[in-house]
Amino acid sequence: MATLLELRNVTKSFGAVRALRGVSFALEEGEVHALLGENGAGKSTLIKVITGAYALDDGEIQIGGQSVSHLTPARARALGIACIYQQPALFPDLSVAENIALRLEKTSPLHTVGWAARRTRARELLHRIGAEIDPAAEVRTLSMPEQQLVEIACALGAGAHVVIMDEPTASLTQKEQHLLFAVVRDLRAHGVGVIYISHRLEEIFALADRVTVLRDGESVGTNPVDEINESALIKMMVGREVTAIYPPAQSAPGASRLTLKKVGCSQSGVHGIDLELRAGEIVGMAGLVGAGRTELARILFGLTPADTGEIQLGGQAVQITDPRSAIAHGIAYVPEDRRRHGVILEMPIAANTTMAIHAQIFPGTWLRSTAERQLTLDFIRDLGVKTAGPQAPGGSLSGGNQQKIALARWLATKPKVLILDEPTQGVDVGAKSEIYKIIRHLAAEGLAVLMISSDLPEVLGMSDRVLVMRGGTIVAEFPHGVDAHDVMAAALGQKKEAA
Amino acid sequence: MAASGNTNQRRHAIGEFLFRHETILLLVLVAEWFYFNSVGRRFGTLDNTFEIMRHSAEIGLLALVMTPIILTGGIDLSVGSLLGLCAILFGKLWRDVGMSLPVAAVCTLLIGALAGGLNAVLIARLRLPALIVTLGTYSLFRGLAEAITRGVDTFTNFPDSFLALGQQHFAGLPTQVWFFLVVTIAIWLLVHRTTFGRSLRAIGFSPEGARYAGLPVERRIAQAYILAGVVSALAAIIYTARLGQAKADAGTGYELFAITAVVLGGTSIFGGIGTVHGTLFGVAAIAVLDNGLVHARQPREMAGMLTGVLLLAALGAGALPKLLAKLRAPRHSSAPPS
Amino acid sequence: MQKYSRELSVAIVLALLLLVMAVAAPAFYDPQPLLSRLAREAPTLIVACGVALVMVAREIDISIGSIFALCGVCAGLLAGSGWPLIAVFGAVVVLGAVLGAMNGALVAGLRLPSIVVTLATMVILREGLRWKQQGAFINLPDAWQWFGLSQRGGQWALIAGALIILAVLAWASRHLAGGRFLYAVGSNAEAARLAGLRPRWITLAVFVFMGALAGLAALLNVVQSPQVDPKSGTGLELKAIAAAVVGGVAVSGGRGNLWGVFVGVLLLACINPALTYLHVEAYWEKAIQGAIILLAVIFDGLRNRRATN
Repeated sequence: MATLLELRNVTKSFGAVRALRGVSFALEEGEVHALLGENGAGKSTLIKVITGAYALDDGEIQIGGQSVSHLTPARARALGIACIYQQPALFPDLSVAENIALRLEKTSPLHTVGWAARRTRARELLHRIGAEIDPAAEVRTLSMPEQQLVEIACALGAGAHVVIMDEPTASLTQKEQHLLFAVVRDLRAHGVGVIYISHRLEEIFALADRVTVLRDGESVGTNPVDEINESALIKMMVGREVTAIYPPAQSAPGASRLTLKKVGCSQSGVHGIDLELRAGEIVGMAGLVGAGRTELARILFGLTPADTGEIQLGGQAVQITDPRSAIAHGIAYVPEDRRRHGVILEMPIAANTTMAIHAQIFPGTWLRSTAERQLTLDFIRDLGVKTAGPQAPGGSLSGGNQQKIALARWLATKPKVLILDEPTQGVDVGAKSEIYKIIRHLAAEGLAVLMISSDLPEVLGMSDRVLVMRGGTIVAEFPHGVDAHDVMAAALGQKKEAA
Repeated sequence: MAASGNTNQRRHAIGEFLFRHETILLLVLVAEWFYFNSVGRRFGTLDNTFEIMRHSAEIGLLALVMTPIILTGGIDLSVGSLLGLCAILFGKLWRDVGMSLPVAAVCTLLIGALAGGLNAVLIARLRLPALIVTLGTYSLFRGLAEAITRGVDTFTNFPDSFLALGQQHFAGLPTQVWFFLVVTIAIWLLVHRTTFGRSLRAIGFSPEGARYAGLPVERRIAQAYILAGVVSALAAIIYTARLGQAKADAGTGYELFAITAVVLGGTSIFGGIGTVHGTLFGVAAIAVLDNGLVHARQPREMAGMLTGVLLLAALGAGALPKLLAKLRAPRHSSAPPS
Repeated sequence: MQKYSRELSVAIVLALLLLVMAVAAPAFYDPQPLLSRLAREAPTLIVACGVALVMVAREIDISIGSIFALCGVCAGLLAGSGWPLIAVFGAVVVLGAVLGAMNGALVAGLRLPSIVVTLATMVILREGLRWKQQGAFINLPDAWQWFGLSQRGGQWALIAGALIILAVLAWASRHLAGGRFLYAVGSNAEAARLAGLRPRWITLAVFVFMGALAGLAALLNVVQSPQVDPKSGTGLELKAIAAAVVGGVAVSGGRGNLWGVFVGVLLLACINPALTYLHVEAYWEKAIQGAIILLAVIFDGLRNRRATN
């Protein structure tokens, strides 16, 4: 069997963050090679290096036995590498057949289009992957998994030797999953190498030949799946020691701040949530991407209001219909996507800081720049924000400092309940431990904190209680000091016997 | 990282001020003024200055209220047509319905608010594209004006006391300039000194980000369009007073002048960036050019052409540095993971 | 047929209107006025097709009325100085294309918003023309009117010409790779780039093409009267965009069909004569036109909302 793709000692840094530290990886012909690791372990960076989206700092890439320097996306495609992302890059207004054709045809503008041939090819490719999609359907009418299948058909049609699938089953139904597995097996049978990224262990055991585990930008090991069990894999993923950067809890939790009873929202697939948050408590929310954690936060913040169940704040049943009512009830939400939702990059830090408290700090709607400046300076000092000053635009800050400003905006509302969604994503280590200290301090002052995080050591280290979500609802609750293994197992849906 | 570039930063700040859009525009305006003053004999007189103000009051008003709208990333093509419709309805309410002029004026302002409200509902509530919605109301408002007057009816013979509003002086300035000043100050304060303007900017930069910050996005957008309706109605009354008549074609093409003035004044058509004084300079640059060329015995059409060229130059000056930076930048970018 | 439901619904409205006219005012169908009306709309149709393609590529062009006027005047002047028809034809099309290229270069090259760029070129060209002509009409050589044919023959020729162009463009936008590139770029420019297309060149091309069509439309307009009006084409851009929107072209790009635009042009063109024949005052035309645009965009908005939910 020939080696399709080989990476040797690949290194890639972003500023101070070392995303890949000497990773080696090989993909054989007709192999399904699973890539496993927590969020931030370096999987997506590795993929982007392979697809040419990122230039590597150091190391070597061989494709088909040939060393390739200066890999670009176009070059990678020409060399037969195709990647199916979770969010497909398709033309929503065009038909499935045309979407496939635009990827595969290289024609001059004056060529006529063979619609019949396009449809036939689309039908054949879709048939080969067993997808029941009408080639004439507009892509925007398709569901997300259907769009992924179209992407796979494109990759197939392009004759790719290496197909990368980035969490392809995250949004698939059971039936679609089986379909996808059949497609992957078919690709393997045709000698294609598949790099398969997934959090779901059962898939990896069902499908993969080998599995490589990444952790903190390093490869922990590569094993044939039949020589390793789930328990060992989980150990490899979470093997990091819980270090002392997490400040300890200082006081016992106080009165109940937020209570959810059977809360659900049909639009976002969250259902049957029972939850209690108490003052002074940090509750960690673990789970896989797509488990419904951010969706739950969006319900609590009124972005997608709940349609079933009851939300109580301090014992009072309340209706949260939009972010404004959530804020009025003392709920604050620091969103996951900092650059799009957390901070308005073009606006000054001061304006970002006061954005959620216009009515309080600017009585009668008049801006008061001294009050705003003072408040911002206070936050800059208290949170240790490194910046040129309150008038510097949000975009001029590093990720960690942006996150502090996003946090400052919500602390300014003097909330009773603080929801943090991936508070340290894309934040360097130093800023991370500062943010942890801040969160712990806030809890000590009586705030109820719900911390959503995919960084398992973070959840374990910070939380007084750990909740685990899976499939849109809470499936487990653990006390502080729980074993990482148990949390991961619950998030993955493993039975108890794995422990 | 903060300490190293302090002097650099200061130099940068000065450079930024010099190259700031409004500064350059102000210099252009001053240059225009001196040039025309040296060429045309009557140009620099107080009378002529008043004349310029008198003639630019209506377009100025429209440009002023266009600024908040463009700050949200929207656009309003219907303001000129609304001016026409309001002028007609004002005349109608006075002459045919028999209202007194002040009552008719108040009703006209209400009608303006209603018409702006139509835009507001469609754009803010139904989230339809502003360009097409206001293209539709552009046609609708003008069409209603024509239908009401059957294309021929003209309202004239307004009493002198009313015409004074558009043709006389008050406290040393042309009367309508007082209205213009009040609206200018009000909108400047609104955009630059209140949470309203702050919210508009946030919406223009990132509607989603504004929503996540708990800002009332829909309401703010709607208010911007309603405000435009009210001020268009005010402009209609002033227009009627200046010309002494109301016709269905009042204010034809004004929306384009207003948009030109706003963009010329440095407001980004994508939203977020822009100032009210920039718009004011934009209006002044166009008005002075228009008037000055007449005094310089140049064809009036040159004013339009030069305005267009100025607009392109203003846009190009903004885009060129980005383009050059892009050409200079290494081709293989390594952005941090998002 | 689901795919063309948007176009069909406008067509049904048009058919109903025509039916009402057939019953209530058969005089609407008198051949000669009908022919004249259709011939007058021939240039509008061509311009509307062009702007529809621009909108499909997710841009907008409001300078087309000015390009139209400039090309018309140019055609008149060249005709007056004795150029043969075919040479004038070539000259105005090239002139239009060059003016379009100017827009396209600014939009694609400097990445400026097309609405503002074409607003500026619209004013520059219109005022420049006014300066040059001072509103003076240009006399056209007699042999030029109706291409030297009889009025009837000329009108038929114009209508046929416009329909042929429509058919060719509709075919090309559906069956030529280049036409499909417009839809691809308008639908998702980033995906188009990933698929190996060059969105900026495609944007430039569509503006050039738009300009050429405006030049062509100007020629078809010029031959309809003994004199060239330098103010012609005022408001044409809005009329054309309105027809495209009514015909189902989305300003958000990637959607629309030229046959829908055809129906849109016909529907808007019918309002005025229909009002006249129904003894409603024709002054309602613009208001009704505006209401139709609003209804079309509300309809699209509600439909899209349902499709995404």
